[in-house]
Amino acid sequence: MSGVAAVPEYVVLQPTTLCNLDCTYCYLPHRALDRRMPVEVARAVAADVNRWAADNERFSVVWHGGEPLAAGRDHLAALMAPFEGVEHHVQTNATLIDDRWCNFFAAHRVRVSVSVDGPAVRNGQRVTRGGAPAYERIVRGVDALRRHELPFSALCVVSDPRPELAAELYAYFLDLGCDVLGINIEEQEGVNARANAHAESDVRGFWAALVEAWRRDPRIHLREIEYTLRYAGAVLAGTADGVLPRRLDPIPTVAADGRVFVLSPELAGFTDRRYGDFSSGTVRDTPLAEILAGAVERTPWLREFLDGVEGCRATCPYFGFCGGAHAANRYFEHGRFDVTETDHCRNSKIRLLEGVLDHAANR
Amino acid sequence: MPPTGDPVEARLRANAEGLNALLAEAEEARAARAETGGDGDSAVCAWNHFENIPTFYNWNNRPR
Repeated sequence: MSGVAAVPEYVVLQPTTLCNLDCTYCYLPHRALDRRMPVEVARAVAADVNRWAADNERFSVVWHGGEPLAAGRDHLAALMAPFEGVEHHVQTNATLIDDRWCNFFAAHRVRVSVSVDGPAVRNGQRVTRGGAPAYERIVRGVDALRRHELPFSALCVVSDPRPELAAELYAYFLDLGCDVLGINIEEQEGVNARANAHAESDVRGFWAALVEAWRRDPRIHLREIEYTLRYAGAVLAGTADGVLPRRLDPIPTVAADGRVFVLSPELAGFTDRRYGDFSSGTVRDTPLAEILAGAVERTPWLREFLDGVEGCRATCPYFGFCGGAHAANRYFEHGRFDVTETDHCRNSKIRLLEGVLDHAANR
Repeated sequence: MPPTGDPVEARLRANAEGLNALLAEAEEARAARAETGGDGDSAVCAWNHFENIPTFYNWNNRPR
């Protein structure tokens, strides 16, 4: 793997900066403001995306927030209208989902992923703007999805990974009925400055216990475990060199105002004396394809990040599994992009692989 | 290249027996899931599309 591709396999769009929740670990700086994406911005993105989608078996547009449903059905439909031949995905807190939204998802063939951190007692950080627990509203939204038989994924933030938590969480998500589950150990990024260092034994034990729980009833597609097994299988088959993509997908995030952020949506809304506003341009004056083609030359932090990836490759024995520390984690933990190991690496890559190995070794 | 004779890969190979058992069960579980039918309508579609399903499936620099 080397460098950043000029053509993505999916794009992330921010229909509004607003979120109706105020989760304590959220990284978004402007989530209290309702700055909506103008339809002209969506049209500008679609001009290139539709061409890419025509050349790809699958190409996805991800509506990511703020809370994308806070943009409203009419506006979201207007933003989706210029896109052709793409899959639409939405990452939502589920609190606004009702029968009408379910009909919207079905009509527009939108794939839904819900953010929920487990049972009520584990959702204390997911709160409304008034500070009230959001859990009951989240569950009502999920109930609507189930009532309409819409399949969904779930994303779970874990702030305090410990072995004893794993079985409880997995049982919860089995009962919730999601097809797919991703586990995000809380990260220090954006406006969330909380440190995310944990004892190695706790995190390793958490992942090992999660494998144990998953193995008893592997109905859910569990992102971290399956990716790790994919790598392990490739190593055992002698094909590990083919696991990482040849080039990093730029994963452009187009913010509500049209600015484009490659690789890390978490950087949107921040400025730095050395890196400016982190954007690589705006689709208001430059086609997305042109922005991506020139991104490495025109984006100071991106060149530094690629040096950091080479640093990871040269020094980290887990590089073949991971592909290098994520840009936002480097910046928000260390203030620059050419550093290497982060707490996120330790929590969500290194200890994940070690936890799976611990499980396999002890069986 | 990573430093050193790939110590991580070496440890994976040293645990091949346990990993292979786990891999076999994972393969069986994937085959049993409805979403592997490939009709494109479920939340996740197929193993070979795993990394290309957005919002959180991409391993590097995924939005989250």
